[in-house]
Amino acid sequence: MKKPIIVFQDYTFRYKTQKTPTLHNINLTLYEGEKVLILGPSGCGKSTLANCINGLIPFSYKGEIQGSLKVAGIETKDASIFEISKHVGTVQQDTDAQFVGLSVGEDIAFALENRSMPRAEMLPKVERTAKIVGMEDYLVQPPFQLSGGQKQKVALAGILHDEEEVLLFDEPLAALDPAMGMTAVDLIDRIYRDQKKTVLIIEHRLEDVLYRHVDRIILMDQGSIQLDSTPDELLATGLLKEHGIREPLYISALKNAGIHFDKDAHLDNIEELDIAAYKQPILEEMKASKPVEVPERGELLLKVDHVDFSYDKRKVLDDVSFEVHKGERIAIVGKNGAGKSTMAKMLCGIIRPQKGSITMNGQNYLELSIREIGQKIGYVMQNPNQMLVKDMIIDEVRLALELNKFDEALIKERVEETLKMCGLYSMRNWPVSALSYGQRKRVTIASILALKPDIIILDEPTAGQDYLHYTEIMNFLENLNREFQITILFITHDMHLAIEYTDRAIVFADSKCIADDFVFRVLSNTQIIEAANLKQTSLVTLAKQVGVEPESFIRHFIEREREERANGSK
Amino acid sequence: MDLNKRLFINIIPGNTFLDKLSGTTKVRLFFALVILLVATWDMRIILPALAVSIVGLVSIKPNKKLVLGLVGFVTLMNLFNLFLVWVVMPDSGANIVGASTLLFRFSERYVVTAETLWYFAVRFLKFMATFLISLTFIQAITPSEMAAGLYSVKIPYKVATMVSIAFRYIPEISRDFSDIKISMQARGMELDPKKTTLLERLKQNVVILVPLIIVSFDRVGNIANAMDLRGYGRGKTRTYYSEHEETPNDRKMKVVYLLLYVALIAVIIGRIFFPGEFEVWAPWI
Repeated sequence: MKKPIIVFQDYTFRYKTQKTPTLHNINLTLYEGEKVLILGPSGCGKSTLANCINGLIPFSYKGEIQGSLKVAGIETKDASIFEISKHVGTVQQDTDAQFVGLSVGEDIAFALENRSMPRAEMLPKVERTAKIVGMEDYLVQPPFQLSGGQKQKVALAGILHDEEEVLLFDEPLAALDPAMGMTAVDLIDRIYRDQKKTVLIIEHRLEDVLYRHVDRIILMDQGSIQLDSTPDELLATGLLKEHGIREPLYISALKNAGIHFDKDAHLDNIEELDIAAYKQPILEEMKASKPVEVPERGELLLKVDHVDFSYDKRKVLDDVSFEVHKGERIAIVGKNGAGKSTMAKMLCGIIRPQKGSITMNGQNYLELSIREIGQKIGYVMQNPNQMLVKDMIIDEVRLALELNKFDEALIKERVEETLKMCGLYSMRNWPVSALSYGQRKRVTIASILALKPDIIILDEPTAGQDYLHYTEIMNFLENLNREFQITILFITHDMHLAIEYTDRAIVFADSKCIADDFVFRVLSNTQIIEAANLKQTSLVTLAKQVGVEPESFIRHFIEREREERANGSK
Repeated sequence: MDLNKRLFINIIPGNTFLDKLSGTTKVRLFFALVILLVATWDMRIILPALAVSIVGLVSIKPNKKLVLGLVGFVTLMNLFNLFLVWVVMPDSGANIVGASTLLFRFSERYVVTAETLWYFAVRFLKFMATFLISLTFIQAITPSEMAAGLYSVKIPYKVATMVSIAFRYIPEISRDFSDIKISMQARGMELDPKKTTLLERLKQNVVILVPLIIVSFDRVGNIANAMDLRGYGRGKTRTYYSEHEETPNDRKMKVVYLLLYVALIAVIIGRIFFPGEFEVWAPWI
């Protein structure tokens, strides 16, 4: 008999600051030893659900609770967060903020310190859990020297001490690059098996989580549970797209080929697909594939020529060369620390090449000041909150023009034009604080576009966004690119983004530019994928199983998706 | 990258004698010396304390450039301060030391007396010793050890934690600041000191602070949640991972600081029950 460990009964929760409940009438039972994925778009209530389970609701977030939630037999609304934290260990999304210690060892020990455990008992425990996650050689390292993935491992070690039966992961993949994300999913799975814990993963990146088996998926939307089923069942339905979740690429490819799934088809693991049944329709569909079209290139905007840059004595950019032409959409990909952000800083003129040259519109970039470069190349940071300084949208959009001392008539004209371009004109007098994350992002893009740069660079434009909001932002950018010929450089980890919205990928690894080619070629090249910490897309696996060339398979897939999107937007 | 000794604050414990003491020993030793120095005007205590502080500072092999810069700055400020005192009260030694032996006369009012010079010397060395001991302490302790040490002298652990958490997030905040600065520069903000006035730059730094504060508030919320979730604040007591057990050296230093506390009590009792006529002792009076 399975033992229930988390039981929601007619549970409804409303935040004190909100008028309507965020969770509606939840009925859900999770059993000991299960591995469950809670899936849903942003704002669907999945994080709220997590905070109910770990006790932050009602301890830190006040509100009105109806119904009952029992965690390990404790009624949460009457319990203190400390009582619940003995049973539920949480790994949060923000890997920086949750690292409260000044060294790896100290952070792992944090919960033990709070329990007043004598140090002599603490040391072997820290050693043991550090070993489980593979961080035993880093115990004295301060957080500033760790990658996001390492910090997450430390956070995980900190909740593996003994007593926590439930491990809760709140968007564990959000801050990681694709390869690190795979490692994280694998590690979670290993711990689930070895430590016999109940594991809950809150995510919207379904395909990445399905890299390892999960028992059950709870699909949430608008504060209630839409479906509670096995991965196979869910994948066979059309519910994912309906609720704004990205379907695994291989599933989309199969559906594109007109395949309908049986009830008992094995879909959650691409290796176990019944490929014989699908082969024929896929080959059939591939026949519609068009020959490679080399797009006509616009005028040359930017030429980076054999550029070097070092911090202290460490080379961060090593002999980097590439060109950017008008109207292009380029993905700059590669692992953290490979030189991507340094390149972006250099293109903005914040740092200058120590060797080599950069030419903008035929002009030597070294002769230009940061401000002059800023009028040619705009830079949009990842977190819009780091960029917004004014109270009102219109003032934010004006700011760059004012700083550059344009005359008032021109400022007015430009601001109006930009606001209209970005669909913000009707909201121009709104306070920035009233905007959602996605809207803020749009304001930051508008504030950069006001200067009419030739090129804009976006740093992780979709980080932390679910598929729906992601699509919204990306379609907006695609539109800017198409209608106004704006050249866009994306710095990103997100392979979906690269596949769907860019034409070319420039790949960085170990401070070198190791590839500059069509996205479909880069993604079907195993060596490049490994060197740059990218993830092999499931399309490649599928293509190999069917026996078609991965490169043309990916290319065909991209074409189809784009056609569909173009039809959809009309 | 060797973070150690490169910064004003150490994150990784060093490996000299003082570094290896426990946080408790360091904090108690520090308090004993500093309170003693605050309580006394006696050159017979100040001079040995100064010697100890110099030996201590040299022993931890500090970042020379940083230390010399700081010491130079503090010395100058201190001398300037004494000069101002002399300008206001040229014969201050008479009241404090209890005599007035004229050495040199600039004018009717501005005189230099042996007692004033002695008083200034005591004041200067007392201040320098306190400063050097504080500097040694800061350089030889990690924020975590400081938290543990403060807790050992019955300061509530929540206060002690605030100190170490602040150090934990300073680098993150400075990184946010430089990111924001970069984005503002790219939007056309002129931060080059050669091209703008000081006032203009001040104004622009205020503009950068707005997003910095918002981003930092987001972070504070997340940190608080992370701490709550791991049981911070559930008990009245707490233990420290970074606070190692007493070593033989800790025990030796324990004897030292206990003796210092005895001396301290003696000094305080002396000053309360047997107040001399004058504040500062001089060998010739």
